[in-house]
Amino acid sequence: MRIKLTSLMVDDQDKALAFYTDVLGFRKKHEIPAGGYRWITVVAPDGPGDVELSLEPNANPAAKTFQQAMFAQKIPLAAFEVDDIESEYQRLKARGVVFTTPPTPMGPVTLAVFSDTCGNLIQIYQPQR
Amino acid sequence: MREREPAFDRLCRSRELLHADCAGALPLARLAAEARMSPWHFVRRFEALFGSTPHQYRIRTRIERARELLAQGTHSVTEVCFEVGFSSLGSFSDLFTRRVGSTPSAYRRAARVQVSMPGTLPLRMFPGCLSLMALLPADAWRNFREAPRAPGG
Repeated sequence: MRIKLTSLMVDDQDKALAFYTDVLGFRKKHEIPAGGYRWITVVAPDGPGDVELSLEPNANPAAKTFQQAMFAQKIPLAAFEVDDIESEYQRLKARGVVFTTPPTPMGPVTLAVFSDTCGNLIQIYQPQR
Repeated sequence: MREREPAFDRLCRSRELLHADCAGALPLARLAAEARMSPWHFVRRFEALFGSTPHQYRIRTRIERARELLAQGTHSVTEVCFEVGFSSLGSFSDLFTRRVGSTPSAYRRAARVQVSMPGTLPLRMFPGCLSLMALLPADAWRNFREAPRAPGG
């Protein structure tokens, strides 16, 4: 077994693709029509080229409820490692990204949390060296 | 103590209000007042956090609700149109078709042939996380494996 794919529900696949590529710097890998929706995957800018993140529609009403509740409770649904959280924070803020938590040391990492404009809070973290 | 409530919580609550009342016509001024913000600030902050303006969010919620009602098959297209808050069947149909890719009646017909548990929505039309994978063409995975590695991968 290997982890080759992880997924995030998004409330708008077009917006999600734009945010994850234009703002976060991910690269689109696949975009294929699938049952009235699209199978969209992206690859992280600094990670291996064959580990994909799928941006799936939150069409299921239970998924919507879950996603909105997690958001309101400020619980992030994915976490990405970064090399320099302070400069990433400044870069994203300059792009209009809304942070719910600025870079904050928490245990073994410094973390920050922002909205991906598609219904999710996303955590970025830099391990303490 | 509503004034003390952080802006994030107020904006989340506004979204819940919009979601619950998508068929209604809660005016922007009222939503903004509930969130203790000026309408201008409310729209900008809502959009920054949720990726769409309150109005766009309301419209999208209406279309999503329409999909669910049409898939359940218990309402006619006209009933769904007015149930979710549209006042014109023509504009509802146009908007639905543009957003969803099929007319409301075609969508409703497609739902009727799906097998699903009573009281649930057909999974094929309302896929959950990762189940979307199963709706890809049969040869999709074979093609993925044959694709060249991305540079640096």
